[in-house]
Amino acid sequence: MSIKKYVKRMSMRLFSKHIYLAVVLIVFFSCKKKVIEETVYDNIIYEVNDVAVYGSNVEKTKQKSTNQYISILYTDLFNQAISNNELAEISELTLAMGDKQTSNELIISHYLNSPLVNIPTNSQMRADLSTFINETYVRFYQRYPTEYEKIYLKKMIEDDPLMTAENVYIAFALSNEYYFY
Amino acid sequence: MDRRKFLKASAIAAGGALAAPYILPSGRLFAASGARIVDHVVFVLFGGGIRNQESVKQQYLANQGLPTQGNVMENMLTGAKPTQNLVYTQWNPILSNSLASQGTLFPEMRYKTGPTGHYNGHTVGMTGNYTETGLNLNINPEYPTVFEYYRKHYNPAKNAINAWWISEGLGPYPSLNYSRHPSYGALYGANYLRPATVFSQLGIDYYSDSSSFQPDDVNRLEKVKSFLDKNFDKTISDIPGVNNARSDMEAIKDLYIDILNQVTPIDYPLPNGVPTSQLTGDLINIAAAWKVLDKFKPELTVINTFNLDICHSDFTGYIQNLHKADYGVGWLWNKIQSDPVMANNTIMICMPEHGRNLTPNNLYDNNGLRAFDHTSDNNSREVFSLIVGPPSKVKQGQVVGTPGSPVGECIDIVPTIAHILGFHNDIPAGLLPGNVLTQAFV
Repeated sequence: MSIKKYVKRMSMRLFSKHIYLAVVLIVFFSCKKKVIEETVYDNIIYEVNDVAVYGSNVEKTKQKSTNQYISILYTDLFNQAISNNELAEISELTLAMGDKQTSNELIISHYLNSPLVNIPTNSQMRADLSTFINETYVRFYQRYPTEYEKIYLKKMIEDDPLMTAENVYIAFALSNEYYFY
Repeated sequence: MDRRKFLKASAIAAGGALAAPYILPSGRLFAASGARIVDHVVFVLFGGGIRNQESVKQQYLANQGLPTQGNVMENMLTGAKPTQNLVYTQWNPILSNSLASQGTLFPEMRYKTGPTGHYNGHTVGMTGNYTETGLNLNINPEYPTVFEYYRKHYNPAKNAINAWWISEGLGPYPSLNYSRHPSYGALYGANYLRPATVFSQLGIDYYSDSSSFQPDDVNRLEKVKSFLDKNFDKTISDIPGVNNARSDMEAIKDLYIDILNQVTPIDYPLPNGVPTSQLTGDLINIAAAWKVLDKFKPELTVINTFNLDICHSDFTGYIQNLHKADYGVGWLWNKIQSDPVMANNTIMICMPEHGRNLTPNNLYDNNGLRAFDHTSDNNSREVFSLIVGPPSKVKQGQVVGTPGSPVGECIDIVPTIAHILGFHNDIPAGLLPGNVLTQAFV
């Protein structure tokens, strides 16, 4: 074997070894794509259990987004989750109006006109005000009323025979606390 | 009197002399805003991107290799319509005298800096400041809008129901009713409405069976809400959006519900016998804007047209939509002049948000006509403005500026509106770089 051929063969071997080494390095030590899972809470479908989850309203520190507000409102009124399609449609309507409270009030009024809405009649409300108040606080605020809140709201309803459960529901749905979680 | 007493007395006298004009007999510290020219301003961002060639220069198809020229905007501009090579359906003008003859035309306004994009153009027109924003468009503008200047500085202060922004499309436009400027913001913003959404099937589905709250119910729910709010230490004052007074909210709800239920149907700007299938988004927007003007008589209203942007791919459609939008503006002016409150007490300003390029892109429409983009060349920085109003207030039939000696910039509209409504001098120095287009006024 000539020196030239020997050098060529050795070069090939060395080259092959380097290739092997490179493959091993790539397979075992190459960069891994880091997958970051991001959970977007804006389109959450909220569950329907009427349970008190807050000890007091002090725990509510974050304001709901428009979608969260509508989604939770729907659940609180109908005891079922809003569909993604309906949520998207209402979001578009809300975007098309500058005064978001006006938009929310129109939606609340629309929902309260629905025969499917789960709202007590006046007589049901007045038959057991304490239960109504407890249930309303849990339904909208996910907490029980304080004794003061119970007494004061009960008196407010008793003093005004024309006050309806719908009035109370609307007031809860438009109150500051309802915009927070 | 010794020197110290003299200096003290002089300082008090000087201070008193400076402050006296601002202390009213009523004890209020600040004087009411200055004299107004009229009580209502309607600013039409006549947009989508319009070239001066097809508008004020009335060149029609001359830039498409065809010798035909003519005025396709007979309601707004004075000039004979094209008679040959017609690529659009001609509607007879609704106005017997063009708006140009009822006001002052600035045919050579300039959009001096920044990208000539739709959001930018709208922002420039409504804030009086050029903007470089090009990426995140769905945010409120950096500088205060004309609505915020009006609501913050006009004295006595006006409710939001006096200020409206009504847009043809959604996209970034809902963000233009107030800025993110730390000294202004939603508190001074305008009501925003996109009629094509609110009065669409969506609105029918979700709002038409709604009802405004009756006064007794308002008292009840406000009483309960007030009690509930007292027991919670946070407020929703930072919820995005403008806030209306309760009575105004109910009036707005009533209007929307009545329109959706056809109690007060929308009257559309169409010539007799022309079917509603000929309506464009621009005409629907103008028609709905009139419902708002008719009901609330707002002092400051900004509306836009946008369908001319079809020029990116369809020059024929652009000419047709330009012709229709012109009809809509003439129709709106007729409505204003037939209103007992707004007639002879309204100034209307029309200006495209920007122009379009001098050279066409690579697209041809069905008639073989070339399309034009708007990519910030000099031609897309050339626009016109038309200021129309009562003869005793606005100079009639006047043309100010030539191609060789242009007059006016897009940033001049906000100070001009402030001048018309009498609060220009109340705006802090440094916020508005533009000038009042004083040439237009008697």
